[in-house]
Amino acid sequence: MTRRIAQIVCFAFGALLFALYFSQLPAVRSLNTTIMIDYWQIIFAITLLVGVISFVKISVTNIRRGDSRPYRIISLIGLTVMPVFAIFWGIKGDSPFMWMFEYVQAPMQSTVFALLAFFVASASFRGFRARSAPAAVLLAAAILTLLSRSSLEGIVPQIVTDAADWVRGNPSMAARRAILIGIGLGSLTTSLRVILGIERTWLGREK
Amino acid sequence: MKHLESRHWIFGGLFLFVIISMALNVNFDMRVSPETKKMFTFIDSLPAGTTVIVSFDHEASSLPEIRPLALVVLRHAFSRDLKLIGTALLAEGTAIGYRLMNQTAAEYSKIYGNDYVYLGFKPQYIAAILSMGESIPETYPKDYLGHSYQNLEMLSTVKNYDDVATVISIADGSMTTHWIEYGASRYNVTVTAAVTAAMMTTYDPYLASGQLHTMFGGLRGAAEYEKLIGIGGSGKRGMLAQSVAHVYIILLIIAGNIIYFRTRRKRRGVS
Amino acid sequence: MEWGVIIAGLLTLAIFSFLYRDNPVYKIAESLLIGVSIGYFLVITWTNTLMDLLFEPLTNEGKWSLVIPLALGIMMFGRFHKKIAFLSRIPIAVLIGSGAGVAIPAMLEARILRQISATTGPLVTESGYLDLSLIVVLIGVLTSLAYFYFSREHKGVFGIAAKTGTYFLMAFFGTTFGYTVMSRMSTLIGRVEFMLSDFLHLVH
Repeated sequence: MTRRIAQIVCFAFGALLFALYFSQLPAVRSLNTTIMIDYWQIIFAITLLVGVISFVKISVTNIRRGDSRPYRIISLIGLTVMPVFAIFWGIKGDSPFMWMFEYVQAPMQSTVFALLAFFVASASFRGFRARSAPAAVLLAAAILTLLSRSSLEGIVPQIVTDAADWVRGNPSMAARRAILIGIGLGSLTTSLRVILGIERTWLGREK
Repeated sequence: MKHLESRHWIFGGLFLFVIISMALNVNFDMRVSPETKKMFTFIDSLPAGTTVIVSFDHEASSLPEIRPLALVVLRHAFSRDLKLIGTALLAEGTAIGYRLMNQTAAEYSKIYGNDYVYLGFKPQYIAAILSMGESIPETYPKDYLGHSYQNLEMLSTVKNYDDVATVISIADGSMTTHWIEYGASRYNVTVTAAVTAAMMTTYDPYLASGQLHTMFGGLRGAAEYEKLIGIGGSGKRGMLAQSVAHVYIILLIIAGNIIYFRTRRKRRGVS
Repeated sequence: MEWGVIIAGLLTLAIFSFLYRDNPVYKIAESLLIGVSIGYFLVITWTNTLMDLLFEPLTNEGKWSLVIPLALGIMMFGRFHKKIAFLSRIPIAVLIGSGAGVAIPAMLEARILRQISATTGPLVTESGYLDLSLIVVLIGVLTSLAYFYFSREHKGVFGIAAKTGTYFLMAFFGTTFGYTVMSRMSTLIGRVEFMLSDFLHLVH
């Protein structure tokens, strides 16, 4: 029963928002805004809360089981500290909340990303082989790009930069455009299938 | 350090070259690319007092690359006396955007509420982009600091995208795509972007079709922009290290291929 | 030196220790990062969205129509109990339906029509010369699309087109790889700059 109701709700919102695109009437635009802000935005925000509670639940379960217990406890402490700081000292300016973000979260997050530089270097040595003509094209494009985007203006001839720019603006862009069109067609058909109830995987398994 | 593998030597080499390059602290003069010039010219052409939305659509992980990009855009915009509305479509961009706007505003003696405003974050980014096209005050009834939208002097004439010259999306992912697909397509807002280097090829088709008005990016883009506005920054400082790192990667690719082809020839010779 | 810089520096070193191998110091730092990130996200979502768009209008401005989205949001919590998990299907339907509804015109216009329109331009310029770049782009788009069309076997002329598309795709992947390397190196350079100047004061 709820599966059918959910499908009807999905169709109603999908068809409505699709139809609203084609009208410029003030009442229609107002309805559009109401759905965006009052329904979509708010329900999405509450869904994120559900995700946070889910994480806490799983962490507590793992702590009880003794599975990576110290690490789970540290995660929960980190999670608790942030809202506590926000409640007592706010989130503006030089508050402890912003301090945690600036000196704990942001540095660690950017360092995790910086690790990728090392793995890219390792992959370049171990993985990038000109095994075939297409692979050679890939390597040539990569090397052209790396040379052109370094600041070796006096050493790297202008023709290398021009060639790299041409490759990026033409064959590379063409392939990316084809991928975009393909994804666009796929998204379009999937959206239609979802609204029309043909695609129902989001409803979960039928009992 | 008993178990050093080949990858550890590669990691160590990269670390060493980058550290030495940074320690040398050499500044390069470099050519400015046409796309950076186009972005600079576009912002430069906006009359003083024009309202611009700057959207911090990135995470903290790309901060070392995003920060120089954001700083040059903000500095240029403030030096041109543009009115800036800051928003964020990703949670981490919220705090970063708030910090960077305040920091740069102080450099140019700009006043919050008169010269710039920070509206904050909305988690459902598509809904935010679409609803801002109808009504920015309804999307953000309060700013990031809790002031009512109606009480902010700068925003008294700003209702939706029609009152904004451009949206500058400072992004490390696909958020600029959503600005183009939902903002530009439906509401004809001019979208410009400052993106990380990894995302540049992603947006090339939109740039070529004109859906994205202009774009620049990467640490090199930030360094070029710093040259254009005449202010030094971490973009320029990182150029030697960037160049050395690129050459290191190229040498690794070449070395790896030499070893591969030699091994293949030996195997063929044996068989 | 500021305490914040010291802590940021030590946490940076803890994350970098992963390069040698996975170790407890890295795991502690990673766990802390996960917790703090989720906590940050929770606070920002609450203050920027739920307070401004839901609770304050509901309580201070008497916007009672917000009871409906609030009720739908509360139904999401049904996921935590097997017997009432079915309730969460309704708010999910609102989210999925809304997303699908707005996506159709956006995908059609921005990704399909505008991109095809940008591909199909005059191949011969006013002065009578072939616009080589546009020809390359047109061939590139068509052959790359041919590569991704799997409902037909890649044989004969179609096979040649698909094979040509492979080369264009490789040009794209190579260029993207080059820019990705640039991006990752920039992030590393940023962290090294922090360590050398702010944390260790070796460089000014």
